[in-house]
Amino acid sequence: MADRITFKRIIKLYAISAKMDLAWLLRDTKYALAGIGADLVSNLSIVSGVFLISVRFGGIGGMSADEVLFMMSYSTVITGIFIMFGAGNNIHISRIIGRGQLEHLFIQPLPLHVQLATCGFAPFTGGSNFIVGAILMVIAVNRLGLQPSYGWMLALIAYQLTTMAVIVARAYLVSSMAFYAPVAAEEISGTAIDGTWFMSTFPLSGMPSFIQIPLVTILPEGMMAWFPSLCLLGKPPLGLGAYYPMLFALVISFVASYIFRKGLNYYVTKGSNRYVPYGFRR
Amino acid sequence: MTKYLKTAHLSALEKTNGGIIYLLPDIIIKVCTLIPLVFLWRVVMSSGAQVGITLEQMLSYTVISSLLADMLVVKTPASGWLSEEVLLQLYGRPLPVLGQLVAITVGGWLPMLLLFSLPMVLFIPLIDINLVPASSYFGISLLLCISLGFAVDFLFACLSIKLRNMSWLIDRVRMAIVALFSGTVIPISLLPHGMAEAMKYQPFASLGGAPLMIFVGVANIRETIALQIAWNLILWPLALITFRKSQEGMVSYGG
Repeated sequence: MADRITFKRIIKLYAISAKMDLAWLLRDTKYALAGIGADLVSNLSIVSGVFLISVRFGGIGGMSADEVLFMMSYSTVITGIFIMFGAGNNIHISRIIGRGQLEHLFIQPLPLHVQLATCGFAPFTGGSNFIVGAILMVIAVNRLGLQPSYGWMLALIAYQLTTMAVIVARAYLVSSMAFYAPVAAEEISGTAIDGTWFMSTFPLSGMPSFIQIPLVTILPEGMMAWFPSLCLLGKPPLGLGAYYPMLFALVISFVASYIFRKGLNYYVTKGSNRYVPYGFRR
Repeated sequence: MTKYLKTAHLSALEKTNGGIIYLLPDIIIKVCTLIPLVFLWRVVMSSGAQVGITLEQMLSYTVISSLLADMLVVKTPASGWLSEEVLLQLYGRPLPVLGQLVAITVGGWLPMLLLFSLPMVLFIPLIDINLVPASSYFGISLLLCISLGFAVDFLFACLSIKLRNMSWLIDRVRMAIVALFSGTVIPISLLPHGMAEAMKYQPFASLGGAPLMIFVGVANIRETIALQIAWNLILWPLALITFRKSQEGMVSYGG
């Protein structure tokens, strides 16, 4: 009998994940600290490169170095949220599907979407990028002379949620291939998420529209930091309006949901058998 | 030698076992990263700042970096040898382990060279980007870069043996450090605040950035190649000694 899902129950599930994360940090501190360091170095090396270039050239495509810093801080906060809520391959979902591990979730007395939403929460070992990103954002906001109001803060949260929705929806959309080709598509979410992370830090300002438009539609890397950052700076680009990211997130979420459900129906009828008797995956 | 060639051949075939179509996402990502990156540099360089490298050179740098990415920053299967069944392959064959790793890695480059780099070499000159090296020393520098890349990779692999359960983390940190410090994405000479001069002498600068700077003709060839040779002479013995000491400590625990 599945548990009744209430807001309180969801918070409790997040608390369970957080407790396990804290237990890992305390039990295996050396490994956990190495993980925190790895996440930080990995992200900062990506964003610092673009920022250093903007400093050297006095800005990029009409964006000042401080505006680029704001964009990089937005990207770092997103990376932080991604790591904090996606530590259990629940966003890299093709790994779970491709490895035949979806059955592990089927036997739990909780709906699949609730498990996937809560199982990857790691605030203690995964929160470093979020904190660094928030600090960078405060610095960038100060340097830009912005006076953040409550409305601006709400808009920031709304854009961050929207960006996360786009990341998750795209990951689930491409990961649906793993239902049909588990071996070949096991790492497809890695390609879609990690493979494009560097591209998502590109300030697209000043580029021709035949580059900009595809990057905010077909391959939405411009939606990861560039578009929402400019919206928050009061300069929504391309004449698409400040609400375009929300509309885009809505559309891609519906499409992803439809395709993923179709794949899931296929999976529950066909199943998956990935493991050889001595433990390795095929 | 035939055995190594056969190993490389098997490695190349392994990449396409599921069909060439399964390499398509990686190829699409590479193309979709390269094209905006070319335009990003066009926008950046149009500011007119004097940085010792022209727009044309920068575009060649970017494109060659993308086309030869696997060679400029070498990554062997040793990165995951404790968890990805690589150990069984390496120690189950009558060939030296490091030699096999080199053959497997080189063979693994071939599908992407044929399916991504070769078509792009035919296409790129159409958009006025020069793909002819400014100096014939580029080839020598590239070989030294690949050789040093293997030594660096083996050292990181030994570190993953030493730290047992951290191969994924080591790989993540290593790729991040190499991406920034090797100059494969952003030339070291473009870094601000005197960082360029300071970073020129560290070992990662002798990886991808060195042949790329020679390719576009902005490097001091003698100094660059001398540094590459020096780092090879330092890191290869270190890698071999460390590997000899490390391999007894390997512990594999499944996939």
